[in-house]
Amino acid sequence: MQDILEGMAAALERRPHLLRLGRLVQDTVLIRLDDGREWFLHYRDGRIAHIEEGPSRKTPWRFGIVTDREALDAFWQQTPKPGFHDIFGLAKIGRARIEGDVLALVKTLRFHKEVLALPRGVRS
Amino acid sequence: MTGPAFEPIHGRYLTVDTAEGPRRLHIETAGQGRDVLLLHTAGADTRQWRHVLCDEDLCKDNCFWAFDMPWHGKSLPPDGWQEREYLLTTEGYIDTILAVMDALGLDRPILAGCSMGGRIALQLALRHPDRFAGFIAIEASDFQPAWYDIDWFDRPDAHGGQMGAALVSANISPHAPEPDRWATQWGFMQSGPGVFRGDLSFYTRDDSLVGKLGEIDTTRARVHILVGAYDLTCTPDDAERTAAAIPGATCTVMPELGHFPMSEHPTAFRPYLADALARMA
Repeated sequence: MQDILEGMAAALERRPHLLRLGRLVQDTVLIRLDDGREWFLHYRDGRIAHIEEGPSRKTPWRFGIVTDREALDAFWQQTPKPGFHDIFGLAKIGRARIEGDVLALVKTLRFHKEVLALPRGVRS
Repeated sequence: MTGPAFEPIHGRYLTVDTAEGPRRLHIETAGQGRDVLLLHTAGADTRQWRHVLCDEDLCKDNCFWAFDMPWHGKSLPPDGWQEREYLLTTEGYIDTILAVMDALGLDRPILAGCSMGGRIALQLALRHPDRFAGFIAIEASDFQPAWYDIDWFDRPDAHGGQMGAALVSANISPHAPEPDRWATQWGFMQSGPGVFRGDLSFYTRDDSLVGKLGEIDTTRARVHILVGAYDLTCTPDDAERTAAAIPGATCTVMPELGHFPMSEHPTAFRPYLADALARMA
């Protein structure tokens, strides 16, 4: 997981349009798996400045996605199956929950959706 | 020297008398033959249908008509809009569609509507079947509750169009060609302030079709439902449940399509629309 997230952060650096879209994003985003493992993506000016592996009770976060590794792998397929093609799809089919400040996510939704989908290109 | 290679779409403006007063609407048409009236989705406009209106083969036997609902596309909101909250209602939507038909002189057209246009198609199948030759209800069901907060899309501190487009992208299939995916989202980004929310108020809160699907008489006008497998809003389960409750209705699941089939993947949608039109014969 750590390597995938690091690949995602590196891919973001190669996407000028995403850096422009996310230039005001300063949030910390939590990714938590159902086995208890957690990663915090610390965004600064639209870049993932730091990936912090949890679990941590001391790290504040703005919003988070709670899911399972199998669902993430299906999400990161180049052509995902129905329901696995979008983070809200994962939530709709019961394979993820979006927690915290959902409105903060929605206000910058295109940016976050495209960043979270970057491993599709990296892994292909 | 040849002239400009215009597309076959003709766009005109027409003022239509609705129960709420006159509305100046933008209307596009192409083709010849049976009249087919096309309804766009919430938060969008007739551009969603442009590929169908430019389809040379479909236009040989079908005269397509598509109009921007008031507040949408090139149809302006009514005077005084700046102090009004736009909220679409079933009654207002039906009245507008019938007023457009009267103004155009359309006699029993086929009605093809997507999303909220599919929902109102089912309402018209229930309430006014004799005004139509048949109904193609796309991404349509009797009702499903919102999986989002419609108030997200009309806020002073955020861009409603950007949020709406990013949210509805959840309903676009990964098989959609990139240019068509983004053209579809561009329409939502251009939606007027509060318009998507006002449409969704109708789509996610009016459950007046629930329990009445069995009263739709498909011997008076046929009903065919199309649904994309990647549609999170009106899922194949929603559409198939709806079709099963309408005696004589049929339903086709489109495996590689989502909630905006005519604009997100026009070439993949075309055979399903052609099949649906053939069923209306």
